[in-house]
Amino acid sequence: MQATIEVNGLRKHFGPTVALDGMSFTVKPGHVTGFVGPNGAGKSTTMRVILGLDAAEEGSALIGGRPYKSLRNPLRHVGALLDAAALQPSRTARNHLLWLAHSQGLGAKRVDEVIARAGLGSAARRKAGGYSLGMRQRLGIAAALLGDPPVIILDEPFNGLDPEGIVWMREFLAELAGQGRAVLVSSHLMRELQDTAAHLVVVGRGKVIADTSVAELLAAVSGSRVTLRTTAPLEAVRVLEHAGATVAALGQDTLTVSGLAAEEIVALLGARAVPFFEVAAHRATLEEAYMELTRDAAEFRAATGQEAAR
Amino acid sequence: MTTTLPYHSGLRAGRDGFARLLRAEWTKFRTVRGWVIGMAAAALVIVLLGLLTASGSHASCSVGSVEVACAAVPVGPGGEAVEDQFYFMHQPLAGDGSITVRVTSLTGVITYPPPNHNEIVPGVVPWAKAGLIIKDSTRQGSAYAAMMVTGSHGVRMQHNFTEDTAGRPGGVSAASPRWLRLTRSGDMLTGYESADGTQWTKVGTAHLAGLPATVQVGLFVTSPGDLTVKQADLGGSIEQVRFTQATAVFDHVDLQGNAPGGAWGRDAVGVTGTTDWERYHRPNGVQESGGTFTVAGTGDIAPRMDGQTIERTLTGVLTGLILVIVVVVMFITAEYRRGLIRTTLLASPRRGRMLAAKALVTGTVTFIAGLAAAMVTVTFGKQILRSNGNYILPVTPLTELRVVVGVAALFAVTAVLALALGAVFRRSVAAVITAIVVIVVPHVLATASVLPEGAAQWLLRLTPAAGFAIQQSIPGYAHVIGHYVPQAGYYPLAPWAGLAVLCGYTALALCLAIFQLRRRDA
Amino acid sequence: MRQQLHAEWTKLRTITGTGWLLLGIITLTLAVSAAAAATVSCPPAGCDYDATKISLFGVQLGQAIVAILAVLAISGEYSTGMIRTTLAAMPRRATVLAVKAAILTGVTLAAGTLAVLASVLAGRLILPGNGFTPAHGQPLLSLADGPTLRAAAGSVLYLALIALLSLGIATAVRDSAVAIGSVLGLLYLFPAIILMGPDQDWQRLLWQISPMNAGLAIQATTHLSSLPLSPWAGLGVLAAWAAAALLGGGLLLRLRDA
Repeated sequence: MQATIEVNGLRKHFGPTVALDGMSFTVKPGHVTGFVGPNGAGKSTTMRVILGLDAAEEGSALIGGRPYKSLRNPLRHVGALLDAAALQPSRTARNHLLWLAHSQGLGAKRVDEVIARAGLGSAARRKAGGYSLGMRQRLGIAAALLGDPPVIILDEPFNGLDPEGIVWMREFLAELAGQGRAVLVSSHLMRELQDTAAHLVVVGRGKVIADTSVAELLAAVSGSRVTLRTTAPLEAVRVLEHAGATVAALGQDTLTVSGLAAEEIVALLGARAVPFFEVAAHRATLEEAYMELTRDAAEFRAATGQEAAR
Repeated sequence: MTTTLPYHSGLRAGRDGFARLLRAEWTKFRTVRGWVIGMAAAALVIVLLGLLTASGSHASCSVGSVEVACAAVPVGPGGEAVEDQFYFMHQPLAGDGSITVRVTSLTGVITYPPPNHNEIVPGVVPWAKAGLIIKDSTRQGSAYAAMMVTGSHGVRMQHNFTEDTAGRPGGVSAASPRWLRLTRSGDMLTGYESADGTQWTKVGTAHLAGLPATVQVGLFVTSPGDLTVKQADLGGSIEQVRFTQATAVFDHVDLQGNAPGGAWGRDAVGVTGTTDWERYHRPNGVQESGGTFTVAGTGDIAPRMDGQTIERTLTGVLTGLILVIVVVVMFITAEYRRGLIRTTLLASPRRGRMLAAKALVTGTVTFIAGLAAAMVTVTFGKQILRSNGNYILPVTPLTELRVVVGVAALFAVTAVLALALGAVFRRSVAAVITAIVVIVVPHVLATASVLPEGAAQWLLRLTPAAGFAIQQSIPGYAHVIGHYVPQAGYYPLAPWAGLAVLCGYTALALCLAIFQLRRRDA
Repeated sequence: MRQQLHAEWTKLRTITGTGWLLLGIITLTLAVSAAAAATVSCPPAGCDYDATKISLFGVQLGQAIVAILAVLAISGEYSTGMIRTTLAAMPRRATVLAVKAAILTGVTLAAGTLAVLASVLAGRLILPGNGFTPAHGQPLLSLADGPTLRAAAGSVLYLALIALLSLGIATAVRDSAVAIGSVLGLLYLFPAIILMGPDQDWQRLLWQISPMNAGLAIQATTHLSSLPLSPWAGLGVLAAWAAAALLGGGLLLRLRDA
């Protein structure tokens, strides 16, 4: 079976609300694919449709070319973590994994393997109801790994993790992808994925806004800007505008220059003997690129803004 | 960018199939301690409550104020307890033969009937019997076949206590007499009736296997007690049986075959004491005058309904059922409460199969718990009841097995119904209350409230509580007057029919649950 | 206290189920009462039925819905974890329970009154058609009749006490499924167990301590002397159960971690 996820033209309504509006993308093996978008953009719904939990009105979602419901040993094909709190609190973590293992024809040995792999250790024999959120995430990861699947889907896996946990999760995801698995990870915060994802599917209002590699995304979004601090702002503006740059004043002695590279600015000002005491080149962050892309799609933010304006 | 080879798992492929799902659900059930304890408690409560009621139930027999050993209850050829008490005017008959008689009158008295309970009135109870009988011997409980006229059920042919065939309806009088004939040919006995002694109609036949070569043949009269039922103040009812006596007039007695002839033997079969009425007014017996015999008798030839039943030990069933319902509903609604159902459906995306596996595990676990509990309770409960002097109406091992297995099935099917309700409602309160209200409450209202009998019977026909019929070990007989109401342990539906009603509701609920589970987003 | 009352009332009012449950109390009580009245008949020779009790028969099922309402009022908070929000807002736990009890009593009395009045009216309309006429020794059902009024008013109180009993049990056991099972078991199993009691003395004793049997003595208008308890004493038994349950529940609520 191919380790891919193919989502094609998914549409779904919840009453009058459009949840999915022609969602289409493909997840390929070998790297982590980030699935980002603001809250309510349709990320979780898409994942649930992929996993056969929700039914789409139109379109298809295939794993290795087959719909989830047709998989005979689904956890051997796809491992998923949707909601870490979805547990029976009075059952121990190990027993939770045990029934899952039994449902896939796996034994207790495999359960102990994934417990060790997820770093649950001796806590696995405690009741899951007493777990911290971080422990529950680890248990969820263990469950996703149970069938040693080539495709892994994680919904907001960074939620509730402490900094140490976030580092662990990043390394873990990279390792899974490095083994040749297709890994789809959703998040509403781009910075969580910045150093992890190689490919991004950015969604808003139920459809894909951008489906691109991280490098391409950064290049596509606005060019670089340079911040300049000078004791002679008026002169600097004149010189730089003459050279074709766009200059905006940020404060008394601070200018933002775009259209020229930092080295060119330094050369120009040096040649005209305009004094300056700081030149800072500014690379666009993934976060900024994402904010730019999703500005229109961020329906919740806009709505809250209107509420506040009333 | 480097291309990575697609991942291939090193795990060996597991077995595929339904068994795996069952195993997963079983693991799920057994790993929550509260559920296992709850299920064990349900079984335990059946045993403890059952044995407690059995040990609190005492009975004894006395003559005057002196306690004596209770007389042995006769048992019919089919193994059931029987009443076998009648006045018998008889002769031995060797080999085949036939007897014919004309009945011209059937009258009687009923003592102290309601509403005023203060006098003895003339009257015949509906199942007073008078006619011909061919019987193995005068021993109580021995095989027989009889042709008779009855108080208000016309001519009947009956044999071996439980069998009854209707002949011509209508009462008997001098103006409208009945001729009866009973013939023996080997093991086959055939009954005929006639209005004039010339035109004969066959009423029925009876095969009495193992009937000896020489049998007792003759005239008999008997009259069962008059039953009145009063509502008891604390729920339930008080049944009273009043002495009655029937008197029939026979003539044209014609006995064909190898019989000694001459004087008839006269026996009050099974009679133990005499009432004041018999002592001072009219004793049971025969008066003969010129070929006319006037015979008076009291008693009955019928299955006996008076005694404890094995299901009396199953008093804990209702309590056990409530526990099972609570546990099973929690088993399913725990899935919904925290979204565990999504994990379950990821592991087994075919939802119908998932629910079927859950139902099968639930049903099997409760069946085993119920079976163990019922087996222990009935076995030991019977012993305790007997040692406390109670008489238990005997049943065949097959019937006992049906009661025990049936109670286990009642538990299992109820559990599956509760499971389906849990899946439909997804909320434990709604599911528990619905399950209790459709199964336990109708039974309680039908057996332990002021509800009129008709309404009580309909409740136990139409609601899932019909399934309780499976525990009834002694059937009601149309030819025996009895207080056949749920309060007294008689259900309006036959045992398996009752269970089928419950199964029907369960199947319906399960289909609804599967339909909803498939249609809804998880 | 007024604030807490207001808060609890808002909470109960804004759960969608409450309205349906109250409607359920009224319709189920009425429907079952009417069905019971329609199935009995009184022959010309007269009958031994207690017409008032028959026309109030629906209370025996309506109480199940009252129990749901009461159980959900507290265990609904436990299952969602909202109890922690509630107790953070109103740290005096005994007051919280008292306020819940007061609100529940209020709504149950209101719904119960409607249910009982409708049932009596149904009995008055249906029973004469089934032979319950003065000619057969059964006067027309009327609230002007002392015992009938006592039975009707007592039935309303009975429902309110069932609500309090359920609330107390639910507070003690917290889980909704276990709570509802316990309440219904306590109510409906006693009558069944009484019948199996080994002798009359036992049966009377069980009857006297059974919340449902003793409590429903308030509905009896005939054969009062043969009852093991007088109507009001019977209702008192139920009140004692409710008080004990509330006290136990309140104590556990105070002692336990939320």
